[in-house]
Amino acid sequence: MSELLGLIYTGNTTDQLRELTATRAVAAVPICARYRVIDFILSSLVSSGARNVGVITQKNYHSLMDHLGSGKEWDLHGKRQGLVILPPFLTHDNVGVYKGLLDAIRSNLHFLRRSKERYVLVTDTGMLYTARFDDMLMQHIQTNADITLMYSDDHTMLRTGGNGCYLKVDGAGRVLDMELEPMLPNYENSYMQAFIIRRELLIELADRALSRAQYHFTRDVLTSGLRDGTLKIYGWRNPGCVWRLDSVLDYYNCSMALLKPEVQAELFSADRPIWTKVRDEMPTRYFATAQVKNSLLGDGCVIEGTVENSILSRGVRVQKGAVVRNAVIMQDGYIMSGAHVECCILDKQVIVREGSTLTAPATYPLVVAKDTIV
Amino acid sequence: MIRKKQCIAMLLAGGQGSRLGVLTSHMAKPAVPFGGKYRIIDFPLSNCANSGIDTVGVLTQYQPLELNAYIGSGAPWDLDVSNGGVYVLPPYHTGKTGEWYRGTANAIYQNLAFIEQFNPDYVLILSGDHIYKMDYNAMLRHHIQKNADVTIAVRQVPWEEASRFGIMNTDEQGTITEFEEKPAHPKSNNASMGVYIFRWDKLRDYLTRDEQDPASSNDFGKNVIPAMLGDGCRMVAYSFNDYWKDVGTIASLWEANMDLLKTPLPIDLHDKKWRIYARNFGSEPQYIAPTASVSDTLATEGCVVYGKTQHAILSTDVIVEKDAQVIDSVIMPGAVIRAGAVVRRAIVAENAVVGYYANVGGAEGEIAVVGPGVRVPDHGAVLPGEQRAQ
Repeated sequence: MSELLGLIYTGNTTDQLRELTATRAVAAVPICARYRVIDFILSSLVSSGARNVGVITQKNYHSLMDHLGSGKEWDLHGKRQGLVILPPFLTHDNVGVYKGLLDAIRSNLHFLRRSKERYVLVTDTGMLYTARFDDMLMQHIQTNADITLMYSDDHTMLRTGGNGCYLKVDGAGRVLDMELEPMLPNYENSYMQAFIIRRELLIELADRALSRAQYHFTRDVLTSGLRDGTLKIYGWRNPGCVWRLDSVLDYYNCSMALLKPEVQAELFSADRPIWTKVRDEMPTRYFATAQVKNSLLGDGCVIEGTVENSILSRGVRVQKGAVVRNAVIMQDGYIMSGAHVECCILDKQVIVREGSTLTAPATYPLVVAKDTIV
Repeated sequence: MIRKKQCIAMLLAGGQGSRLGVLTSHMAKPAVPFGGKYRIIDFPLSNCANSGIDTVGVLTQYQPLELNAYIGSGAPWDLDVSNGGVYVLPPYHTGKTGEWYRGTANAIYQNLAFIEQFNPDYVLILSGDHIYKMDYNAMLRHHIQKNADVTIAVRQVPWEEASRFGIMNTDEQGTITEFEEKPAHPKSNNASMGVYIFRWDKLRDYLTRDEQDPASSNDFGKNVIPAMLGDGCRMVAYSFNDYWKDVGTIASLWEANMDLLKTPLPIDLHDKKWRIYARNFGSEPQYIAPTASVSDTLATEGCVVYGKTQHAILSTDVIVEKDAQVIDSVIMPGAVIRAGAVVRRAIVAENAVVGYYANVGGAEGEIAVVGPGVRVPDHGAVLPGEQRAQ
C-alpha cells in the first residue's frame, strides 16, 4: 500500500490572471491544449503511487468539480481509495472561508485523521509542474526530516518586488534559511509551495498554530520552526520544468514554452502520462488550405486557416483566411474567416467574427473572457 | 439477481477478417484501428451506448487478446454499469462438449444461457465489420410497432454490387417475402446489413432447431433466416440509408478512412449528440513543428509531425520525421515514419517503423501494407499491392 496521501489546496486566489480566474480556481484554468492546471499535479501523484488524494476547494469550485468528476480519469475511483473533494462548509469545525492553508487543513482534519497513509504531500496549485513525488518521499524518509520542501533552481522562477519564497539549502539538502516575499531574493532556490510531512505531525502543527491565531503555513510554521530549530526541514530539488502562474504574462510565457519539443519531452514521458477529462472528440481536421507551424492542438479542431506558434484546445475552429499567431485559444473557440488574432489568450467559446483583428504586444497579452463575441 | 432487460445486444466479433491480410495477423478484425483514434468495434459499441442499450455480449474467438484488453471494463462506452454492461464471451468447454464457434448462429447458440440470464424480450445481433452511426432504438421501435418476429436492417446498394450481399425482397409494407443470399440475378437492391432484432423466444427456438440439423452451416444468413421465412415467421425490413461502409478488405478500409477527409464529412464524428467513444491512452496534444506541412489531414493526440502530410490519416502517437512524406495513406497508432521516407497509397499498421529514406507504396496501383510492428529497413521499398509481414 502506498504511504503517500495527496492533499491539493486550490484555495489560493489571484486577480492577476484576470478573466481566466473570474469563474474558476487557478487549478481549473485550461492549459496546454487539453489539460487543466491540476491535471499535472494529480497525474504526478498517481504515477508516484498515491492512491488517495484530497482536493480542498474554496471559491468558484464548480468548474473544478465538473472537471474532476469521480476521479475516474486518474484511476482514483476505487472503493477503498480515490479522490475526495473537500468543499468548504460552515460548521463548528469548518470555518467555510479559509484564511490560508492552515485554516483549510484544520477545517478538513477529519479527512486527515481517517486516512491511513503515514505521509502526506501538500501542494498548492499556483504553479505548473510535474514531479516524481516518490523520489521526494524517498529522500524525506532517508533524511529523517520533519518536513521536506520542494524547490526549483530554475532562474525564471525568481521574482523581485515581494513575491515568492526562497531557500538556502546546504549540500545535504538541509534548509538553513528561507526568505518570504523579499523585494530582492538572496537565494536562488524557489520554494514550490509543495511539501511532504508525516500526517500526524501536520495535524499537530495545524492545531498548534491555529490555537495561536496563526494561519499562514510558510510564515507561521515553516519560518518560525526553522528559526527556533524545532523543525528539521529539508529541501528536495525538482529537476523538471516549472512555471509560476501568478499573472497573465506568466500564463502566456508558460504556454509559449510548452511549444518547445524539449519541454514537451520532459513533461510527457511515456511511463508517466498526464491524464485529463476525456471529451471523445473526433481527431483534428487540417484542410488543404491549412498552414500550421509550431503549434500544439487538441482533438476536434477544424483548421482551414493559418496557425503559428499557438496552442489550440479541443474543438477550436479556424476558418479559411483567418490567422492565429502566438496565441492561446481555449476549448471551442471560433476564429472566423479573415480574422486576425495575435498574442491573445482566448478563454473558452470565444468567437472572433469575420475580419476582426485582435492583437497585443507579447509583453502584455490580451485576455478575452469566456463566451465573448468579438 | 439480474434484472430483466427489454433488449440486449450480441456483437459477433470472432471473425478472422482474412481479407485484411497482415493487418489481422495478430488481432481480430473488430480490433483493427480506424480513423486516427478509433477501432472498428467502437462504432457498434458507441451505437449501443447512444441507443440506450446497456448490455452487450461480445463474442470473440480469433486472436482475442487485443480486443479483450481494449474492451476492458467497458468504461469508455459507459458500459461499466452494475446491472448489465459489456461481457466478453469466448467459446468455452462445458464438460461433455466444448468447441469453437462454428458459425454466426452457432456462436449465439452457445451463449443461450448468457442471454437467458437477462430474460430479454428482444435480442439485437450485430457484427463488428462496419463503420456507421445507427440508432438501434429506432429500429427496435419499428420492430415492436410492426409486431415482427425478426427485423432486418437493409440498405440500398448499387445494383451491380447487389450480388455480393444477402438481398431482401419485400412487399409495399416492408414485409420480407423472399431472401436470397448472394443472388446471381438480384430482384431488388435491398441488402441485409447483418443487423437483426429477434424476438427472444423465436431466436431461441430457431437456434435450437438449427443446431439439431447436421446439414446446417449454422449461419444466420444461410440457414436461420431462410428457415424462419419458410415457416412463415413475420419478418420485416428496416431501411437505413445513412453512411455505412464495409471495412473488410484493404481497399475498403483505406477508402473508409479517406472518407473522413471529405467535405462535408459523409459520417459526422463531430456530432455531440452521437459521440463515437474510444479508449483514451492519455497522449499529449498533437504537435505540428515549424518544418511541417500538414494539409488535408486528420491527426490526433500524441502525433508529432516534422515532415509533410497530404491526404493522410495519422493515428495516436504517430511520428512523421523531418523531410518524410505521407501522401494518400493511413498511419496506424504508434507508427514512425523516419526522415526522408516516402509513404504513398499505403496503410502502415500499428507500431511499424518505416526506415530512413525508405519507399512504401506508389502514386498508382494497389494499396501497399506494412504489417503491425514491421520494420521497413532504411532505403528499403514496399511495392504497391505488397503486404509486408514480420
